[in-house]
Amino acid sequence: MLVVLSLSLLLGSQQSAHAKDTLTLAIKGEPDEGYDPTLGWGRYGSPLFQSTLLKRDENMNIVRDLATNYELSENGLVWSVTLREDVKFSNGHPLTAEDVAYTFNTAAASGGKADLMKLDRAEAVGTHEVLIRLKERDSTFINRLVSLGIVPKSIHGPDYARKPVGSGPYRMVEWTEGQQMIAEINPHYYGDTPHFKKLVFLFTDEDTSFAAAKAGKVDVVVVPQALAVQEIPGMKLHPVRSVDNRGLLFPTVPDEGRKTDKGMPIGNDVTADLAIRKAANVAIDRKALVQGVLEGFGRPAYGVCDGLPWDNPANRIEDGDPAKARNILADGGWKDTDGDGVVEKNGQDAEFTIIYPSERSIRQYLALACADMLRKVGIRAKVEGKRSFDEIKQLMHSQVIVFGWGSHDPIEMYHLFSSHHAGEGYNNPGFYKNTKVDEYLDKALAAKDYESSLEYWKKAQWDGETGLNARGDAPWAWLVNLDHTYFISEHLDVGTSQVEPHGHGWPVTANIQKWKWID
Amino acid sequence: MISATPRFFLGKTARLACILTLVSVLAFTLVSMSPIDPVTAYIGIDRMQISTEQERLIIERWGLDKPATERFFLWAGNVLRGDLGDSMIFNEPVIDVIAKRFKTSLWLMLSAWTLSGVLGFLLGVLAGMRRGSLLDRGIRLYAYTLASTPSFWLGLVLLAIFSVSLGLTPICCATPPGVSPADATLWERIQHLILPAVTLSVVGVAQIALHTREKMIDAMESDYALFAFAQGESRFGVACRHALRNVALPAVTLQFASLGELFGGSVLAEQVFSYPGLGRATVEAGIRGDVPLLLGITLFSAIFVFFGNFMADLLYGVLDPRIRIGREVSQ
Repeated sequence: MLVVLSLSLLLGSQQSAHAKDTLTLAIKGEPDEGYDPTLGWGRYGSPLFQSTLLKRDENMNIVRDLATNYELSENGLVWSVTLREDVKFSNGHPLTAEDVAYTFNTAAASGGKADLMKLDRAEAVGTHEVLIRLKERDSTFINRLVSLGIVPKSIHGPDYARKPVGSGPYRMVEWTEGQQMIAEINPHYYGDTPHFKKLVFLFTDEDTSFAAAKAGKVDVVVVPQALAVQEIPGMKLHPVRSVDNRGLLFPTVPDEGRKTDKGMPIGNDVTADLAIRKAANVAIDRKALVQGVLEGFGRPAYGVCDGLPWDNPANRIEDGDPAKARNILADGGWKDTDGDGVVEKNGQDAEFTIIYPSERSIRQYLALACADMLRKVGIRAKVEGKRSFDEIKQLMHSQVIVFGWGSHDPIEMYHLFSSHHAGEGYNNPGFYKNTKVDEYLDKALAAKDYESSLEYWKKAQWDGETGLNARGDAPWAWLVNLDHTYFISEHLDVGTSQVEPHGHGWPVTANIQKWKWID
Repeated sequence: MISATPRFFLGKTARLACILTLVSVLAFTLVSMSPIDPVTAYIGIDRMQISTEQERLIIERWGLDKPATERFFLWAGNVLRGDLGDSMIFNEPVIDVIAKRFKTSLWLMLSAWTLSGVLGFLLGVLAGMRRGSLLDRGIRLYAYTLASTPSFWLGLVLLAIFSVSLGLTPICCATPPGVSPADATLWERIQHLILPAVTLSVVGVAQIALHTREKMIDAMESDYALFAFAQGESRFGVACRHALRNVALPAVTLQFASLGELFGGSVLAEQVFSYPGLGRATVEAGIRGDVPLLLGITLFSAIFVFFGNFMADLLYGVLDPRIRIGREVSQ
């Protein structure tokens, strides 16, 4: 063993500084099911090997990619999209309207992570025009045009996920599952030629990735916030803002002994009281959470989509104000009459349990810190870790849960707050219901197009009188948005990164064709 | 040399069939009782972007809309026809996943197995030969310490020392980053094998060494050893000419029976070193509730372990003609 080790000392360590045109990344997120967009690959909007009809720029504006022109019919049911004429797949075949129609129809039927349930049919009109017909109006459908990578009809099949061919900036050279994926420039790419000729994605464990970075073997590595305070020689910290949020979900209905069809109890008498939820929102000091729990790598959260185009700036409240929180409680009829430091109303103590998945340390710290802040205003929050989400699922209609969401698709807001699907799976677990909010959410979904839907999404959050934010019914207390922390080589210029959705990894590569190496 | 009869093989085959049936029923029952909901695990953080209709489509694609017993018989029927089904998470036939992954694991397991077998036997013989000596105590200390060391922890320690601090060994994977497995040189492969194999075998050594030591002590104190000593034979001579053969037998059995542990150990070692073998696939399948893959791997590992024991049985006959297999059966 020693002999072999010393041998490797003599011969081994010549994997010296790699050439500047190869980039090695350890950013997690190996898609086990493969690189097939019709099964959900690229749903964060950067399929790498394939290109999309539209895309979002670094400011989240929707810009054209494969489409030169697109419009939605007056009734909001038919998208007509005109395609660039100079596009070829990496195998040299031209990309036509047939391929686009095939991709949409296949994705709708395939039962993967790309949800195209609203699609009726996509059809090619000529070689460069596609009609995409919807079953019903859905203003969020534009996100499929942004995220669904186009696959070539002629070679798409069961093997495709492992050997993707597309019209994106890179093409796959080889994927060793569980280890690495190698990509190189697609010579047929219609856009600007990327700087890096070759990309190597390592799919290593968090610890191993960090070790690799310390040993100087990778150029980009994602690390947990707790490790972001460390230093890695030759690398600089690259924190990226995100809507990867954490918040407290409150059950908004009282406990009347109701149960879901799976036998899970519904309702919580304490959190059903608006004053409790509002007071909690005001009492919590979000800046302190960012500093204390996230080491400063994050920003306070006041909604599910802070800073995205459908975010309502009115969501921001003055928080960390225990005096105001106490007033809200007093106005709501909650008083401490027995002097135990906990307010009560009608003989009931202001007490609930905050549940978190025990293996997620950030959620644990958030729960503990919140309980501390709530105690100061007379609310007693117990804190309890559960082993898995399957256990939490049983409790999420009756207890306060630390959840985390955040995506680039406003449909998320619909599923979180609309009462139409309350209690179905993880949809609106707190059984929140406000007819005015429901109305706005439905209007947003059925809006003529994406632009006009934005107003309704905002109104659902706060229309000046009511809404789902903390000024309104406060069904959640949103706490923090994480910064995704990467270490990147000192020589690497990655431009401006998009506000990232929940989930590490691929989103950072959204603008990879703009990355540069600077000596 | 091996005089195993057809009857012996028939019996073994029947036993294997029996084991596989039981294992698959048990595994399927356990998996279907597990609280992990595979659909939830698959959708993960995309939960809020997936409508209930889409979720139903996923459930249908995976056939989870059928009751568990029906699913089992469907699966069992396909297996009898040689079709292990498709892995849910890898979106690929289970048989392909296992074949691909096992090819990688095989090198790791083989080198670790050989290393721990040879080293363990050697250390055990040395310790047993000189019972109570400094050497014996040293070997015992080593074996006891390592027998109680979790292999993933040992892996991390080795990684920190040899790869990060000293930079002698690679950090991860089966081949260097950016080099395709087909282009990797033999030396590169060996280099990447060193740390995981050492991790895996260092722990495996302990068992073999301790058992061999016990047997060696017995042999050295036996009547025939005493007789040899009386005839003027040296300690070394007795050990070589008389004890070794008797000690080899339990060591070989143990070595082949340890295939199960080897399998388990490789799960952890592969996780630490991002070695893309069967172990990592097992972890993935377990965490994400991929029933077909998990069952496939379970069956495969059952066959693997069975084969190990079977080999031990056959080798018995080679090493010790007195208990040659099939002898008593054919008489």
